Amino acid sequence: MIRCEQLKVTFNPGLATEKRALCGVDLSIPQGEFITVIGSNGAGKSTLLNTIAGDIRSSGGRLYFDDRDVTALSAAARTRDVARVFQDPLAGTCGEMTIEENMALAYGRGKRGGLKLALNDRLRTLFREQLSRLNLGLEDRLDAQMGLLSGGQRQSVSLLMSALQPSKILLLDEHTAALDPKTAALVMEITDQIVTEKKLTVLMVTHSMRQALDHGTRTLMMHEGKVAFDLAGEERSNYGVKDLLNLFAQMRPDGEELDDDKLLLGA
Amino acid sequence: MGTLEIGFIFGLVALGVYLTFRVLDFPDLTVDGSFTMGAALAAALIISGVNPYLATISAVFGGAAAGLVTAWLNLRFNILHLLASILTMTALYTINLRIMGKPNLALIMEPTVLSPFQSLGIPSMYLKVIFVAVVVIAIGLLLAWFLNTQYGMAMRATGANPRMAQANGIVVNQKIYAGLALSNGLVALAGALFAQTNGFADSTMGVGTIVVGLAAVIVGESLFNSRSMLVIVLSCIIGSLLYRLAIAVALNADFIGFTTSDLNLITAVLVGLALILPQLRREWKARKAAKGDAA
Repeated sequence: MIRCEQLKVTFNPGLATEKRALCGVDLSIPQGEFITVIGSNGAGKSTLLNTIAGDIRSSGGRLYFDDRDVTALSAAARTRDVARVFQDPLAGTCGEMTIEENMALAYGRGKRGGLKLALNDRLRTLFREQLSRLNLGLEDRLDAQMGLLSGGQRQSVSLLMSALQPSKILLLDEHTAALDPKTAALVMEITDQIVTEKKLTVLMVTHSMRQALDHGTRTLMMHEGKVAFDLAGEERSNYGVKDLLNLFAQMRPDGEELDDDKLLLGA
Repeated sequence: MGTLEIGFIFGLVALGVYLTFRVLDFPDLTVDGSFTMGAALAAALIISGVNPYLATISAVFGGAAAGLVTAWLNLRFNILHLLASILTMTALYTINLRIMGKPNLALIMEPTVLSPFQSLGIPSMYLKVIFVAVVVIAIGLLLAWFLNTQYGMAMRATGANPRMAQANGIVVNQKIYAGLALSNGLVALAGALFAQTNGFADSTMGVGTIVVGLAAVIVGESLFNSRSMLVIVLSCIIGSLLYRLAIAVALNADFIGFTTSDLNLITAVLVGLALILPQLRREWKARKAAKGDAA
């Protein structure tokens, strides 16, 4: 269970460039829920994710993992509970290191790194077995350099890596946005598979309305640093992309047109 | 023999430089100062009657402290890494003079780390090489093992992808402190061994250490292309030996007419070539590939 209470983030406070990125977000994410988050550019989606991860310090409000107040914890200290996959396939893995080394790093997430060898036969067997589920043939290439893999393969491995250790929440930050539509669909399929199997709690930011409705159990729409809509259950299942677009239009009383093609075209 | 001995000693420098430049992606010029510091501390302590082994260990800690200062300047105050290391290096020049009390110290009649082995009856010329080779190779193996431990791998991730490292719970600043301390400790050990095998410490002996270390790393890398830590570590040491050999050949070939004072130019040209050639090869390959597509 993750709980945000009036979470606020302000960039460059007091300066001409001051930006209130989160203006009091109240959100509670029960265990096992898969939330998709949509919203236009600058709505605060990524800020919300980065604040939960601890990369961004909140300027107000509180954040709880279960009943523990983690507002003051550093990003490194939160990694025991927070797993992540980034938008950029290059960001989530080390291109200069091998697949097995990358997985060993992820296996050590939230643990103290000691002077024990990071890899051993037991781990290699585990990694090989995990990789074989991707059906990408990577299980035979444990010692291949990560940099040799395609973007889709790297994102798939990143997903596996994020699930090697238990987490209270998995943060997916548009993790398919940098992929071609076919690969994106494959990576989403793998996402669903891993999330279901490991019963993960997920917060996934996406630019695609289709994706937001087709995956997960609950959809949030963010607007100007707040949660504007929160759809779940029956109501959500009756929603189509058209309805979401209408919601978007309602939130912009000045009649601003939705010009973000990605929202409409996303796979 | 002298070439081999110095080659092995600078193998330690190469390992240190590999740690900062390659593993941590932190170009660190502190080594010019920490090499001298290692020599100065070891020499000064030995002359004042301290056990040579204890003196050598103190030298390692001195170098490590210098590395920590550079890391601190960079991480705490956001001073550019190159500049931070130049600041430390400059400060170390004075500190080293203070440690020694004068610009150079002679160790000719003093006990050294080699003294306990002199009773073995091996001629001192060979003894030095064997001793240095054993020490350097042992440290190389230890380093290769270290880089494969959880801690060492975290250090490698810190340099390769700090964001990924952080997302996996690695406290990146801590790894940079540790890496710089380790690197400069190794370089100071090289300085301490150099002073004891060559019988002196001099305030200017560290000038150009960084270039020599880098040269060794690059020579090693261009010969062995591997991701294995063991191979990489050994190739640093071999690179250092080959580099020394190349220098010795260049200086001894009378027909070329080089003298010792040309050393720095030769080094710069060698390192330059080692950096330029791979780039040229890439460009040449790309051009060939483009032609192939057109045909």
